[in-house]
Amino acid sequence: MSLYDVRAVSYRYAGNGQSVSALVDVDLEVGTAEFLAIAGPSGSGKTTLLNLLGLLHGADRGTIRFDGMDVSTLSERQRTRLRRERIAFIFQSFNLIPVLTAYENVEYVLLACPIPAAERRRRTLAALAAVGIAEQAGQRPQRMSGGQQQRVAIARALVRDVGVVLADEPTAALDQTTGHAVMDLLKRLNRDRGITFIFSTHDPRVLAAADRVVHLTDGRITP
Amino acid sequence: MRRMTILLTLSLRNVFRNRRRSLFALATIAMGAMGLFIFMGFNRGLMNQYRANTIRARWGHGQLYVQGYRDRAHARPWEHWIENPSAVMARLRGLPQVLDLFPRLTVSAILIAGENMAAGQGEGIDGAAEAGFFTELNYREGGDFRDRANGIVLGEGLARGLGVHLEEEIRLIVQGGERPPRSVTLRVTGIFHTGSQEFDSRAFRMPLNVAQALVATDRVESIAVALARAEAWPVFAEAVRVSLPHLEAVPFDELDRIYYRHAVDWLDAQFAFIRGIILLVVFLGIFNVISMAVLERTREIGALRANGDGRLAIALGHILEAAVLAILGAALGLATGWALSAGPLHDGVAMPPAPGITRSFRIQIELARGDALQVLSLAVLTAVVGCLLPVWRAVRMPIADALRHV
Repeated sequence: MSLYDVRAVSYRYAGNGQSVSALVDVDLEVGTAEFLAIAGPSGSGKTTLLNLLGLLHGADRGTIRFDGMDVSTLSERQRTRLRRERIAFIFQSFNLIPVLTAYENVEYVLLACPIPAAERRRRTLAALAAVGIAEQAGQRPQRMSGGQQQRVAIARALVRDVGVVLADEPTAALDQTTGHAVMDLLKRLNRDRGITFIFSTHDPRVLAAADRVVHLTDGRITP
Repeated sequence: MRRMTILLTLSLRNVFRNRRRSLFALATIAMGAMGLFIFMGFNRGLMNQYRANTIRARWGHGQLYVQGYRDRAHARPWEHWIENPSAVMARLRGLPQVLDLFPRLTVSAILIAGENMAAGQGEGIDGAAEAGFFTELNYREGGDFRDRANGIVLGEGLARGLGVHLEEEIRLIVQGGERPPRSVTLRVTGIFHTGSQEFDSRAFRMPLNVAQALVATDRVESIAVALARAEAWPVFAEAVRVSLPHLEAVPFDELDRIYYRHAVDWLDAQFAFIRGIILLVVFLGIFNVISMAVLERTREIGALRANGDGRLAIALGHILEAAVLAILGAALGLATGWALSAGPLHDGVAMPPAPGITRSFRIQIELARGDALQVLSLAVLTAVVGCLLPVWRAVRMPIADALRHV
């Protein structure tokens, strides 16, 4: 069974009296432990597809099944819980909390989970170590480089032991060398831990790291 | 526990995330808290001073009358006065709340000094006993008549109307119902002013035994009561009801309802209005700061929600932040208020004469811990209410919209 089974999904953005199609009849299957890239130019619908896969909102038409569940039947609370337990996000602009240290940023997402304090500490330190920034644990984001901040964001995604990480242009705000290093890290985590990574990009060099690439053009999947 | 700790840490650090804006908010809350605190202290000082004046100048903590006497007019009032006052007072002195008792008798008289004549309403009192408790008559000239059998003290306006000064003689003529008028000549020992123009223009006080002789009675109209503490009045009144059921204990604020009770109600209403304005300013300050903070953090809120944080948890963080801001601002305001009352306002605030009052006075700022706690609670409550709308809007925003927010 696929981790994701997306069938005939469409989504339109409405506003200011206008309506724009972001996704049109998208079909997609994603297997467990895939390292999947969604490629396409700006405005092609990559972020919208990631949002739908991350259960941030529902589709206008079509069905999305996550691990066999039809997500359109879930309540807001159930979707929040599913995200907390099974899905993590990495963003282009990191979106760390600037007043918390790297350690606290990573630990913060565990606070909503019923995990004992000692285990929470162990997992936080382990996540920071896994992305190579254990020594910067006490630093706040503004004192860190873009690459280091993205590593903190990755540690934040890993610490909950989720099965899926969705990354929206994870290297777009990084220089080429740092971007490659981040992609290598994601690939290693995919390989070592069996985590499914789905990331969007329009950088052809990043696409090379993917197991499979899905191309989107004007909201449609193209060969 | 750890979640609360990190939420509190986050709130505290967020307070100083945009220092200029937070300082503005802190200043707004501090000013509001200080204003509220000082105003409460001023109000308390004013009311306490007014209460002390009322108790120590005229009524004591209250007075005793024969049951029902005050409810209607009497053709022969002396027939409804308290019989055998010495025995009544002996029983009352056994009550632990009682500090002292002062028998009194009201006398309406024509006062004549040379060519001048005026109508007055006075009281026959035990001058020696009352001198120790009724200390707020504010003698402009002379003082109490104490043991002088022929002494009389006059209100300032009455003395002016009669054109009399210290040690000059006055003749009092009292009409006792159907009995022939009686008169007595007394000598002025003091001229007082309570501040109430209306009272000072007709009031006089004379020895009780002289007043009793004028009205031909050995009864007293009332017994003024001095208690160890004003708060003990209800207990005292209940004891009177049980042990002397033919008497009625009337508290001073009921006796002086027109002035004291109405003044208290009027000041309370004024205070509530000013408090409302101050809290509105604090509310708008907090609303503005939290609205701006939430707007700036929209993407951050979106990221937290995308990673599984619930709306309630995020809202709680911002509510805590507003509460922390309010506590810090209120603490600053309270400390400033305290410093002001101990420094520049230590001697009180000079006030001009109030309506119907003839003298200016100083109001002491009387700060109380209870007031500080009330100010702190109001600041926190206002801040929490002020942040609810912007926070609610932020956490209701669709996550994808929040993540796109610039």
